[in-house]
Amino acid sequence: MTSSRFSSNKSGGLSSPERVAERGRSATSSIAEVLHVVQEWAEKRPHLTRAFALLCILFLPVIVRNPYHMRILNMILLYSVLSISLNLVVGHTGLLSFGHAAFYGIGAYTTAILLKDFGWSFWIVFPLSGLLAALFGALLGLPSARVRGDYLCVVTIGFGGIAFLVMQNWTSVTRGPMGIPGIPSPTLLSFRLTSHAQYYYFGLALLLLTYWIVKNIHDSKIGRALLAIREDELAASVMGINTFRYKVLSLVLSTFFAGLAGSYLAVYLSFVGPLNFTVDESVLMIIMVIWGGMGSLPGSIFGAASMLGVVELFRPLYQYRLVIWGGVLLFVLLLRPQGVFSRKPYRPRRQVVESEEIP
Amino acid sequence: MLLQQIVNGLALGSIYVLITIGYSMVYGILQLMNFAHGDVYMVGALVAFSLLTTYHVNVVASCLIAVLVGAMLAALVERVAYRPLLGKDRTVSMITALGAALVIRNGEELVWGVAAHGFPSFVQTTTLQIGNLQVSVVQFFTLLVSVVVIIGFNLFLKYHKVGKSIRCVAQDIPVAKLMGIPTGKTISLVYAIGGALGVLGALLYCSSYNVVFIGMGFAGTMKAFSAAILGGIGNLNGALLGGLILGLSESLAASYISSAYRDAISFLLLIGILLIKPSGLLGRHISQKA
Repeated sequence: MTSSRFSSNKSGGLSSPERVAERGRSATSSIAEVLHVVQEWAEKRPHLTRAFALLCILFLPVIVRNPYHMRILNMILLYSVLSISLNLVVGHTGLLSFGHAAFYGIGAYTTAILLKDFGWSFWIVFPLSGLLAALFGALLGLPSARVRGDYLCVVTIGFGGIAFLVMQNWTSVTRGPMGIPGIPSPTLLSFRLTSHAQYYYFGLALLLLTYWIVKNIHDSKIGRALLAIREDELAASVMGINTFRYKVLSLVLSTFFAGLAGSYLAVYLSFVGPLNFTVDESVLMIIMVIWGGMGSLPGSIFGAASMLGVVELFRPLYQYRLVIWGGVLLFVLLLRPQGVFSRKPYRPRRQVVESEEIP
Repeated sequence: MLLQQIVNGLALGSIYVLITIGYSMVYGILQLMNFAHGDVYMVGALVAFSLLTTYHVNVVASCLIAVLVGAMLAALVERVAYRPLLGKDRTVSMITALGAALVIRNGEELVWGVAAHGFPSFVQTTTLQIGNLQVSVVQFFTLLVSVVVIIGFNLFLKYHKVGKSIRCVAQDIPVAKLMGIPTGKTISLVYAIGGALGVLGALLYCSSYNVVFIGMGFAGTMKAFSAAILGGIGNLNGALLGGLILGLSESLAASYISSAYRDAISFLLLIGILLIKPSGLLGRHISQKA
């Protein structure tokens, strides 16, 4: 259905990117149409769809036997948690944070150190990792009272850079670039989490919890306040929203889940090293959020799944895959600037218009 | 010792200034965070590396070719990744910039590999002794080239017709168009100049430290972003001040506090300055409503 549109589009010459974009836009919108038809069909049969989806998700580890594929699935779950939580800050509140990997790292190192050096129980350490990350999140939120926009973005880059350097250089605690190996796996009532499938269910539970909470925030008064801040901070504050408090709140909630994700990573890999938490990693998470669709939770999951799954899909083209993937990302966003899953196009704040767009 | 570190910092800072100018100019016109900047100028630096080491081309010629390659690639990226999104939300063009950076960086990896290569020095590696101050010829050369280029570029912006049109476009695109300025070409030109200056900065850096590797690109983008923000983004004097402060703070932090935390200290300085002056040192006051 969509491929026929694509092929008909190919007939012209590829002369200017605008025209290519114009032509392709109809193609992507038809993909979006198909998605919406599927969605509507599913919405009419909620119980059937839900049961089917649930069955698929629950039995995935039974079908997928290859440990390598299971590992990719688990990483997708983990990155879905990260991108959903980042979406709260980037997509809902409109703060561009380049420090998310730092909080992920804080959670991971907290878990690693408390489990390995202090021998605490995982079920105490797990929430504690989230809380500690959230504490630093609140700290990063403080400058947002004064610094705004791209200037705040640099503050988050700085925070991410500092956190990475501390992880790499504070060797007495973090063992520096060598990382911390041999983190014990968590036990639940004398039952030890070891296999990929068990971690899959643990990751799934974490993802569902995150999804449920962020979804509820999105639908609540807090979510509406955050969206108002994203659309227009000044107008939001005039309407009586305490913008500073809500910005800090969104950062605290978002970084809490990043810390939990870090904790999951630490026990799953039983190793943490600073290279997992660079600013590049934060950039990857931001790409997931925006490519999936700002403010859309299924979009964030799609973003994480596609960014990680593509590694597997393009495996035959091993060395070219990131070149191709960058091209795909670029092309799709040129055609669908609001991201794959967002329905409403994103309004620009200040219009820099081409002459033909002036009415 | 202190004077020595200041000289080192100024040499490093002047390289940062060259890299930052291109970044800051693009921002001044389109409010776009050009995340492909570093990876674009690395292509230039790597081309120069290949020409110098594999093909044994003369230094001046290979630098000129590298600068041209950087300028052309920067203009190409603008045409493909940014122009179709003109007027759309700028977060999206930021991601297409990241996409372009991903394509370029991995393309570089396919051609040159991820390993660090030794980069030949442009000038002989002797040092000049001035009092008890040691200035290597490379540092002197770097400072000289940067100062000449920065002054020349400022004069170009101020007096040349094309420079004036760049400043017009930076102020208001639709009005500049009404005045008969070819805005599309001007924007491409700004990208090309930014790419060219970036390549120049990268070449000086590689020649000073005798090394070239792909990771320098993204690190350079982050440095350029920080320096531009520090000085007040979109402002040329701001880029100058920001680049120099960044270079000086890194050099002083490395020698007096800790070389491992060099970047962390300059980040802390950056955050501190932003807390005191939220729009950068020379930035105009940002009104909340544009």
